[in-house]
Amino acid sequence: MREIVTIQAGNYANFVGSHFWNFQDELLGLADSTESDQIFKSHGLNMDVLYRPGETQQGILTYTPRLVSMGLRGSLGSMSSHGTLYKEIQEAQVGSLTWTGPVTTQTSQPLQKNLFLQSLDWEENSNVDRLGAYENEQNEAHAEIQDKDIVESLENDIQYWTDFSKVHYHPQSLYELCGLWTDSKDFNNYGIGREAFSGGLHAEQVNDRLRFFLEECDHPQKGYQTFATLTFKGIQFIVDDSGGFSGVAGEVLEIIADDYPNIPVLLYSVRSPDSCLDPSHRKLTIARRLHNAVSFAKQSALCKLIVPIGLPSLSTSKMSKYLYLEDRKPYHTSAVYASALHSISLPFRMEPHGPSAQYVSTSGAVTMNDLIQILAGQGCQNMVAVLDASMPAPALTGTGFQQPLLETLQPLTPETAEDVEDMQALESMIIHGAFASGSERASVCEVTEAVQAAYTNAVRRPKFSHLSVAQCPLPIPLPYPSIFGKFVGERGELLNTQVSDSSSSRGSLEVHSVPMAARLRSSIAILPFLDNRLQNLRKLGIARGALGSEILGSWGFGRDDVEDIGETLSDMVTKLNPRSEASSDSD
Amino acid sequence: MSLKVLNPNAEVLNKSHALHMNINAAKGLQDVLKSNLGPKGTIKMLVGGAGDIKLTKDGNTLLKEMQIQSPTAIMIARTAVAQDETSGDGTTSTVIFIGELMKQSERYIDEGMHPRVLVDGFEIAKRATLQFLEKFKTPVVMGDEPDKEILKMVARTALRTKLYESLADQLTDIVVNAVLCIRKPEEPIDLFMVEIMHMRHKFDVDTRLVEGLVLDHGSRHPDMKRRAENCYILTCNVSLEYEKSEVNAGFFYSSAEQREAMVAAERRSVDERVQKIIDLKNKVCADNDSNFAVFNQKGIDPPSLDLLARAGIIALRRAKRRNMERLVLACGGEAVNSVDDLTPDCLGWAGLVNEHVLGEEKYTFVENVKNPHSCTILIKGPNDHTIAQIKDAVRDGLRAVKNTIEDEAIVLGAGAFEVAARQYLVNEVKKTVKGRAQLGVEAFADALLVVPKILAENSGLDTQDVIIELTGEHDKGNVVGLNLHTGEPIDPQLAGIFDNYSVKRQLINSGPVIASQLLLVDEVIRAGRNMRKPS
Repeated sequence: MREIVTIQAGNYANFVGSHFWNFQDELLGLADSTESDQIFKSHGLNMDVLYRPGETQQGILTYTPRLVSMGLRGSLGSMSSHGTLYKEIQEAQVGSLTWTGPVTTQTSQPLQKNLFLQSLDWEENSNVDRLGAYENEQNEAHAEIQDKDIVESLENDIQYWTDFSKVHYHPQSLYELCGLWTDSKDFNNYGIGREAFSGGLHAEQVNDRLRFFLEECDHPQKGYQTFATLTFKGIQFIVDDSGGFSGVAGEVLEIIADDYPNIPVLLYSVRSPDSCLDPSHRKLTIARRLHNAVSFAKQSALCKLIVPIGLPSLSTSKMSKYLYLEDRKPYHTSAVYASALHSISLPFRMEPHGPSAQYVSTSGAVTMNDLIQILAGQGCQNMVAVLDASMPAPALTGTGFQQPLLETLQPLTPETAEDVEDMQALESMIIHGAFASGSERASVCEVTEAVQAAYTNAVRRPKFSHLSVAQCPLPIPLPYPSIFGKFVGERGELLNTQVSDSSSSRGSLEVHSVPMAARLRSSIAILPFLDNRLQNLRKLGIARGALGSEILGSWGFGRDDVEDIGETLSDMVTKLNPRSEASSDSD
Repeated sequence: MSLKVLNPNAEVLNKSHALHMNINAAKGLQDVLKSNLGPKGTIKMLVGGAGDIKLTKDGNTLLKEMQIQSPTAIMIARTAVAQDETSGDGTTSTVIFIGELMKQSERYIDEGMHPRVLVDGFEIAKRATLQFLEKFKTPVVMGDEPDKEILKMVARTALRTKLYESLADQLTDIVVNAVLCIRKPEEPIDLFMVEIMHMRHKFDVDTRLVEGLVLDHGSRHPDMKRRAENCYILTCNVSLEYEKSEVNAGFFYSSAEQREAMVAAERRSVDERVQKIIDLKNKVCADNDSNFAVFNQKGIDPPSLDLLARAGIIALRRAKRRNMERLVLACGGEAVNSVDDLTPDCLGWAGLVNEHVLGEEKYTFVENVKNPHSCTILIKGPNDHTIAQIKDAVRDGLRAVKNTIEDEAIVLGAGAFEVAARQYLVNEVKKTVKGRAQLGVEAFADALLVVPKILAENSGLDTQDVIIELTGEHDKGNVVGLNLHTGEPIDPQLAGIFDNYSVKRQLINSGPVIASQLLLVDEVIRAGRNMRKPS
């Protein structure tokens, strides 16, 4: 077993995480259900990698994500920060036991749970006292009426990430940052996040929670005995780096580097489309650009592999061919990113097969450490990876109008160069649930062969490519947004003709699963991203009389610190493009 | 008005508006917190939108729970929280004192007085009050054996404002003993050496002091002992898990054999490290009735746990960094970073190592140690909000004891100091001041009375009567405080009510500084947001 602990920091990161855990929950549910497809029942994935078994004080067994999520106070909406499973012993009097004097109670308006959360509660209660077939029937009738309304209500008002979460969290998982006294709008730069986190006991409390999940992680004995797989635990860290949580994450990464130096960290820095827009105010624009540079440099220094994610507009990307996305809805965009992250995380969880296994559902298992070695450990040691995804992935042998799979991959990393020739490129790809042609699932071998063939014929080939394949497609849980277009079939196959449907987009009721392809690559395509950050820092932060040096000062960075940050960035650029040094020094 | 020209959208509040905005914000914050003050104050129960409960009587906690928007209020709150960080108490008093200074100033300003004059008066009064505090304080000689009774009185005064009496009295002994346990002569007291651990279990009165250490995890092997007496303790920071070293981190091996050989070599070196620990155990535990426990800051993987379990050793992994220090202080020995030169001298000793399981949570008690310099306060309570509240109170109590030892002085409580200082300012200092700054001194002096006033108000007493009676006694030369039960004057010395000297000093220092700054504001400019809009 190769346990992975997930950390989520910031609101958008939690949106992505919420979708991510919904997929996992759906997979768990489908594996148990008698009605589901064979590919879900033997998906060949080890869920213990991401989940932990536990037990409440009342002796009820639990299975919850190994997760530490951080958000601003109030960002949990109607969910209690203690989660839902570990209920406290019901005290007879809620009043204060510790004070005999007067008590004043201030009760906030209880937040109304939306239809979806209500239906979850309802299901939970009815599970406990299900009496007979009659009631079962009623349940179904009840569920049928509601599902459509649920999807509609989710589509129209999602305010908190908990509004569409169907997962039970451990009480140690959800951490709220309180006592900030700033508007969430003003919590928007590296400096303020760092300051907020270092004051008080935040660092200690988050570290305690992290320790709770890491202490129980074992190293497998099996790996040691058979030498079959080298096994490592890892941390996957999703951070919303457009605001103050970037600074918070920087501090948490430092804790990890100090206390757990041997655990690899895979960092996804996600941001929502609206945070990519330049603010109207000039001073804010400068601050934003500096924040981007500082935040990226600080975080990349403390992790093993960093994947920037978040396009300024998803609705105008290649994806829009099959997906109807609204950029202003974080509910929509985070779903796409979460789908890609889910795909990337599959190889970490694949069970190794014995040679006798008849039904092969996965191939190409890697550990997080191996993945990091593949992408950042060889060649030019570039630790910034580009994430590409294709959703839904087309069939292997497309009919006529469908593009071949490799061409449908859309970069989800911003500011990348297109069509660059890179002989040194390294990549790791995962394809799961793909169709051979039409609506027939391809076997693992077929996919492997098809990809190999595609690469042999391709004009540009990476230097090294690792491929993982799984049979199990991306399951679409009920609270998934309605983003599929009319050419997407029930199992995510691409149709030649439009589905005649009244609504403009199709959601979880019409589409039940989707084939996916996702890829991480280390290539010079990332150069523009790095260059922009370096140039902005030089122009606004380092140059004599730079406009932003005061801002950096207020974030707690002295001149030397800023120069160090510049050094980090320019090192990264030089690694990929040795010639760049001469040109940038001249200005 | 050049600023306005620069940014036409910026909103400008003129002088009187700005001043009143500041005064109102300060008064507003005072109103929220004042019912908290003192042993007769109100506890606040906050119920969040998702039904989460928080109970608090601590100004510091309450401020952090509040969504404060007004920039003035944020400034006051920051000062109050800083007060808590530096001296450990007095958050509520700070907010109330600043609020009262503003309130008193408002009267004079409405009559047309310039804030500058008031601020000058504040400055004079502040210096005089600080000098008075030096004279007024009660020096305490600490020496090698501090007077436990005095420490208890200070701790009790602090705790009784946070918890009901019998629990406060129980915790008083606990915090005093805890601080005395970690105190080393000639060294500053490091309160981090008192571990505060909680268990959601049983009742608040089961809270106790453990001389030794409680860790919030247990061994991870089914065959390890759950209870061991006469235990040698090895504290170490050595990786006992197989991991790929950074040097030969290449992903590709030229052959499968090469890869296996490397893995095997790595494994062997881990096993060797484990063997060294086992050798040491066999050496010291030869007589058979003692045990051996390893506390490691780094990881221990299952094969290593297996080896250790077979050798009869209890092993805990991934201990908190700070616990490494605490363990050594509690049990003796030293923390080792390598197993290369292990000697019996490195080992500590504990009479009992015991594991306790509550649901999925495990606790390991390391107890019955000789001559401990670190200890654990184990808080028990039926639910999280009770635990959180006791935890806050314990922290305050510990700080109060620490302050007393370090200040080597205490101050009479129950409002006695405030009344005495006020009389001193009005009767003596005011006369020496020339001109209108006198009024500033008077405003300051009256503001000091806010503490006894609110204490009286919270106890349901008549504030006017109380103040008249108290000042009367003081003018007769008796130093008295307020008996909250009867409203009569009492001698705080006899009643055992003492406050921290450093808390009072900090309060008198920072309050007027912030109040002066707020009074001298004559324009508030803020771009981009409408301030007058009710939020």
